[in-house]
Amino acid sequence: MRPFVPAATADLAERLRTDIVPEVAGFRAGNVGMTAAMLDMIGQEWDRAAARLVEENSAMRALLVRGAALIGGPQPLDDPNADLHVSALEAANEALRQGLITLQSTIEERIDDEARALDEAIWDELRRSVERRRIASANF
Amino acid sequence: MKALTEEALTTYLSRHSPAWRDISVSGLHRLPLGASRETFRFDLSYTDDSGAHNDRLILRRDPPASNVDSDRRHEYESYRAIHGHGVPVPRMVLLEEDPEPFGGAISLSEDLRGFHNSEYQLQEPAWRDRLPHIAQQFWTSMGILAAVPVENLDLSFMKPSTVSTTAMQELDYWEDTLDRHDVGPEPIVRAAIRWMRRNPPPPAQKLSMVHGDFRAGNFLYDDSGNLIAVLDWEMAHMGDPLEDLAWSFARVFCFGKDDRRCGLAPREDAIAIWEKASGLQVDPKALHWWELLICVKGQGIWNSCAHVWSEGTNRDVIHAYAAWWLRNAQDRAILELMGKL
Repeated sequence: MRPFVPAATADLAERLRTDIVPEVAGFRAGNVGMTAAMLDMIGQEWDRAAARLVEENSAMRALLVRGAALIGGPQPLDDPNADLHVSALEAANEALRQGLITLQSTIEERIDDEARALDEAIWDELRRSVERRRIASANF
Repeated sequence: MKALTEEALTTYLSRHSPAWRDISVSGLHRLPLGASRETFRFDLSYTDDSGAHNDRLILRRDPPASNVDSDRRHEYESYRAIHGHGVPVPRMVLLEEDPEPFGGAISLSEDLRGFHNSEYQLQEPAWRDRLPHIAQQFWTSMGILAAVPVENLDLSFMKPSTVSTTAMQELDYWEDTLDRHDVGPEPIVRAAIRWMRRNPPPPAQKLSMVHGDFRAGNFLYDDSGNLIAVLDWEMAHMGDPLEDLAWSFARVFCFGKDDRRCGLAPREDAIAIWEKASGLQVDPKALHWWELLICVKGQGIWNSCAHVWSEGTNRDVIHAYAAWWLRNAQDRAILELMGKL
């Protein structure tokens, strides 16, 4: 799409803040301000959503394959990124995240080196996931 | 949601208070405050046998669905319970639990006008030199609340708790909130909950009335930075006073986007102020557990925002905005507290 979506959302958000917010008051001004902030978030997410989901799905799948080898249990989907629609990637992401919860809750109380290493690898991926998902305007 | 009108308020007050004559409601408008309840401001004038009255009032209304499980009676009784015990709060005026007149239960309280409540304004350069004073006032008020003996308060409307049970009671409640407002699997908060169950905190030093949302944005202050009143008591409960301190330390409320908690002061300064006012000592390990608890609580609330919006039961903009803006930051805060960031 042209204009590029993040450029358009950024411009629309700025127009809401500078043109509309001063014209309204109280509750309505708050709503317009939050709508502008949401447009900024849409712009950020529109550009990165597919990339971060593909990266995250691949990383989680690798962890689940490693977990299945360690504790048995089902193998994850062959290719969680076969359908690149964001809705499909999100659905695969949710299934993988549920699998990660199950895997980590199983291994985190084991004291053997393999389990410890896998647990740390899961934490590493969770750390990377929050960096991928960071909102530019967030307080933290 | 039923439209709230001056006519409806006038009609209601006429029936509620037959001794009032010449009732006039004016200037009714909604304020941009909070996500969990609707807040309106209006002017009321009337005459009774003692003469003419002109009151400035706040009306809070329960929406059909909210990101916080509470109700009008709970907040109304919380304000009444703490009123006069050293923590300044507005005076409660009226409670109407019947949803029929206004589409939801309402409460009326005095409106303390002419003050500020914005947490963002405090980050403007003009306010920087007043922040130490505001921090002193803020955490002192929190410490005073912690010190009030619960035996001196009428908290009979609250869920019972003890120094030994409050921690797991709160964790159970907020885990259940996450379960009931599921918006997809969340490995980080679930891992935190498992760790917290394996590593429970010591019993609370004392049982206190916990405000439950004690942070910048929920108190009124004047131009000099004096704290005028503490607001938003809908999540008040009996519990460990460290919970309020932990909530005020939440990374998501670091409005200066730095290490100053609530955008006011570093945590070490806040702890020193709170300890002096409360007469209590902060156990770092216990505080750490409570800081994780408030992350679970925060995520429960932000997920509830996403849930009620997605279900279509409350489409206020703030619910979608808060969920987008806060959920990942809350996860990052958990990782930091668990030493995994």
